[in-house]
Amino acid sequence: MNTTAIVLVAALVTITIGLSIFSQRFTRTTTDFYLAGRKVGSFTNASAISGDYLSAASFLGVAAAVYASGLDGVWYAAGFAGGFMVVVLFIASALRRFGEYTVADFAFGRFGTNRMRLVSVFCVLIVSLFYMAPQMYGAGSTWKVLVGRGFLPSNDAGLFLGVDPVYLSGVIVVAAIMMFYVAMGGMKGTTLNQVIQFWWLWLAMFLVVAFAFGNGFDYAKNLQEASDGQLVATTALTATALTTPDPKTGVTPLEKAKGVMTPEGFAEVEAAVAKNDPVAKIPVVLPAANKLHEVKLLFNAPGHRYNAFDQFSMVLALVLGTAGLPHILNRYYTNPSGKAARRSTFWVLIFIGTFYIMAPIAGLFGRLEVFKQFFAGTAPSNAAYVDGYLVKSDALMPALGQMLGGQALLGIVAAGAFAAMFSTVGGLLIASASAIGHDVYEKYINPNASQRRRVYVGKTAVIVFALLGLFLGWVIPYSDLPNVYPALIAMMVTWAFAVGASAFVPMLLTGIWWKGTTERGAITGMIVGLAGSVGIIFLNILQQVGTIGKTGVFGFLGSLTFPVLFTFPAALLTILIVSKIDGKLPDNVDQIWLRIHGTASERHEKQHGLDKVGSLLGGKK
Amino acid sequence: MANSTSQPDATSSATIEASHARHGEHVDTIENVDIVFRKQRKLSFTYGAVFFAVTLLIPVFTVWWPWWWEVTFWGGFTANYFVVALLYFVFLWVMAWVYSYQADKLDAQLAHMDMEEQQALEIDQIRQAAAGTDEGSAT
Repeated sequence: MNTTAIVLVAALVTITIGLSIFSQRFTRTTTDFYLAGRKVGSFTNASAISGDYLSAASFLGVAAAVYASGLDGVWYAAGFAGGFMVVVLFIASALRRFGEYTVADFAFGRFGTNRMRLVSVFCVLIVSLFYMAPQMYGAGSTWKVLVGRGFLPSNDAGLFLGVDPVYLSGVIVVAAIMMFYVAMGGMKGTTLNQVIQFWWLWLAMFLVVAFAFGNGFDYAKNLQEASDGQLVATTALTATALTTPDPKTGVTPLEKAKGVMTPEGFAEVEAAVAKNDPVAKIPVVLPAANKLHEVKLLFNAPGHRYNAFDQFSMVLALVLGTAGLPHILNRYYTNPSGKAARRSTFWVLIFIGTFYIMAPIAGLFGRLEVFKQFFAGTAPSNAAYVDGYLVKSDALMPALGQMLGGQALLGIVAAGAFAAMFSTVGGLLIASASAIGHDVYEKYINPNASQRRRVYVGKTAVIVFALLGLFLGWVIPYSDLPNVYPALIAMMVTWAFAVGASAFVPMLLTGIWWKGTTERGAITGMIVGLAGSVGIIFLNILQQVGTIGKTGVFGFLGSLTFPVLFTFPAALLTILIVSKIDGKLPDNVDQIWLRIHGTASERHEKQHGLDKVGSLLGGKK
Repeated sequence: MANSTSQPDATSSATIEASHARHGEHVDTIENVDIVFRKQRKLSFTYGAVFFAVTLLIPVFTVWWPWWWEVTFWGGFTANYFVVALLYFVFLWVMAWVYSYQADKLDAQLAHMDMEEQQALEIDQIRQAAAGTDEGSAT
């Protein structure tokens, strides 16, 4: 990485740590630590929610998905944004009015049993770990691309603890920074940092797109140009795989590559095949298969990533999953009122909407520009290419930064990628810590603990979960998952959405909107949603690694890439049916209804000026 | 659980009974909350139905309507690409804004109902006081 980039990333880390130390002075109570004193204004909260939401998968992954897959990649952007409509329509204001700390608090308050709270805590931890895993894997991968250096020793095979030492160095650095800054600053420090980090990554994306327009980008014309001919995709195959004919067509991948590659590029592939190394994977460009329609696939047409079933289930997973992410839901408690919670979500839609409109532009521009600059001999040297295409599409944003704005823009993009990681992991750590520190320790282990003790336990929980994130970051490449799933980060993020959508969203929807929901119904629905989605995901992994076949019940379930199309309705129906059969409503259901849907508390606060947004640096000393 | 609880918010003298919630001088009765809740539920689920219909129509067209993804109308833009990359976001913004505005109005309606009940109560008290005075002067 160049000096400018190192300086900018170091500046971001310094600001992050500095703000956390500064915020610590204003974090005395658990309301400060977990909820930033409940006085975060709509604009600030919307910026922080957007920072929480936009991870490295969004910053690097969406443009990369569009670069690699065209229209099917754009779907990620639309689906990620659409999820907030479910939040604003059904959940935001009701959750805030209930006025607690966490999703598990809501579940306990609504249904009134300890087992409900504990099941919710378990679900929070599972969803958070599912979401933490791709963030930590992304942290190591991004570090490897952008920094390229590590501090760990390596053995004869070039590995440390069975994984790439440069990758693991990145995971350790990010986990250590996160551990420090979240434990120090709590929700106030995290909120301040997320605001800055969000606007940094938004600006980085804006600059890339502005430079693209400055370099003659014309959306309609360039889309026409990119769609002029068969969509091609890069992959890496062994020499044996390249020369093995397809049983149906009798055509080898090597023959297919010849039809779409330049003579010079194909000659390099042929030379690599001639070496006949049984292990080495050879990067190659192949015509992209159309999974949806039996026609030639173009950049502006659907079908590269999703077949007909996945077109629906992927969109539903993204749209429903946002409302099931605990680190996003917890942020709604930091609003001063239900109305402010709705207003925050509107601003989130504006912020992330503009971001997700820009990301596909960067992807499309990159598709053309990288190719041109490769053959002009001016493509950046910090990425690997095959015949004018990036071997790993995740390298697109840094490559575009360097091509369009030299070292300075590369530095801004690199810092933007780290900002995306920090902000999301920060939110996840707070959510996980509150599940243990608030929902378990304060409620069951030591209800009489002093505020000081409670904050101390929250900080300890942050450290424990950061270490758990570090473990996940190590175990993913160790388990060889990256070779089983080519787009692993995006896949794991979608899994987290699927688990959240199945475990939490049916309980929240029925708990808020149907008085007849019973504790037994809700708890059974959550277990069905959680077990169903996690089970199907693991069956999918087992099928991909070849442990189970593709026939029978397990074979069918394992073939479901996105389980939410089955698990969400299953959980919802379970809640409805069990609640109807059970019929045992909480004794205080009317009081609960008054808390969720009444506004007397807000009117009282408004009358006495208690709803005024406070400074994040205010609070008891 | 107990039939009466206190809100965790220590800033108000709050009591929540099965029939009403009182925060200072502001009161929500369960009848009023239920009336506004039904309107709110109708609003949320109507907008939700429109949101899911539009969102799921996109893959429906993508799978079954070739014109949608095949015919370009502005440079390389097909209707499918244009909607997913640009128009869908405008749809989300407009919908979120209009919904929030209407939901705010329902919040205001609940406040109005509380105010009306308080006024009715005050008028009642004044009438009772006046009746008491009349009776007093008559005797």
